[in-house]
Amino acid sequence: MASPFERLSLPARVESVRLFHQFVRRGAEAAGLDSPDMNKLDLVLEEILVNIARYAYQGGAGDVQVAYSAEAGSLLVEVTDAGRSFNPLDSAPPDLALGLADRPIGGLGVLLVKQIVGSLSYRRQDGQNKLSFRFPGPGTIST
Amino acid sequence: MKIEATQFEKAIVLKVSGRMDAENAGEFDKACELWISQGFKHLIADLADLQYVSSMGLRSFLAAAQRLKSVSGSLMICGLRGLPRQVFEMTKLDSLFPIYETAPQALAAL
Repeated sequence: MASPFERLSLPARVESVRLFHQFVRRGAEAAGLDSPDMNKLDLVLEEILVNIARYAYQGGAGDVQVAYSAEAGSLLVEVTDAGRSFNPLDSAPPDLALGLADRPIGGLGVLLVKQIVGSLSYRRQDGQNKLSFRFPGPGTIST
Repeated sequence: MKIEATQFEKAIVLKVSGRMDAENAGEFDKACELWISQGFKHLIADLADLQYVSSMGLRSFLAAAQRLKSVSGSLMICGLRGLPRQVFEMTKLDSLFPIYETAPQALAAL
């Protein structure tokens, strides 16, 4: 049976990412995830949270909330911010066929999230972005 | 994250260990900048003890490689394994860098 949601809100800043990692790792341990999976979960969270820290509040301050519910073998994770509307599922994938000189420096974070998690869902509700995923999910890559 | 630099005749080996993330990837940029500004054209990033790298770390590798290419140099990668290897493969960065098993093999290729 799934546990009730645990929630943590912190300023949407890069410096908050490690605290969110520690927070979610408690749920990952409760769900029985192994160490390689915990690193992948850290990576997915970092990519989502760094995007929010850099773009959601467009230079202003704001919070981001991470919530998780643990069940045997997996976690349901939801990330919420009140910044500008942004659906990462709509972002154009970077062109991975370009050579070194032409390869854009950014855009790889969302690609990693999509590839690792397999399925993500986004909704805009009450002026908030809500991004949720199950980890590991049906499409999660194995080690 | 820890970065240890070892100077060889033709290249600098930067052994990067631990976790490379949004908070500390800038330290790798600074290390690369230091050696490039001293005239070194070939850097070898030894990632054998790197457990974790996010897209901010990938940006740093890409930026250093592009900078070195513009001076006819290169960023070589060795010791890729575990999650960092998967991340390089998922983003197809493994096709953009010269990749070697070990630092001595990368040095021997110069």
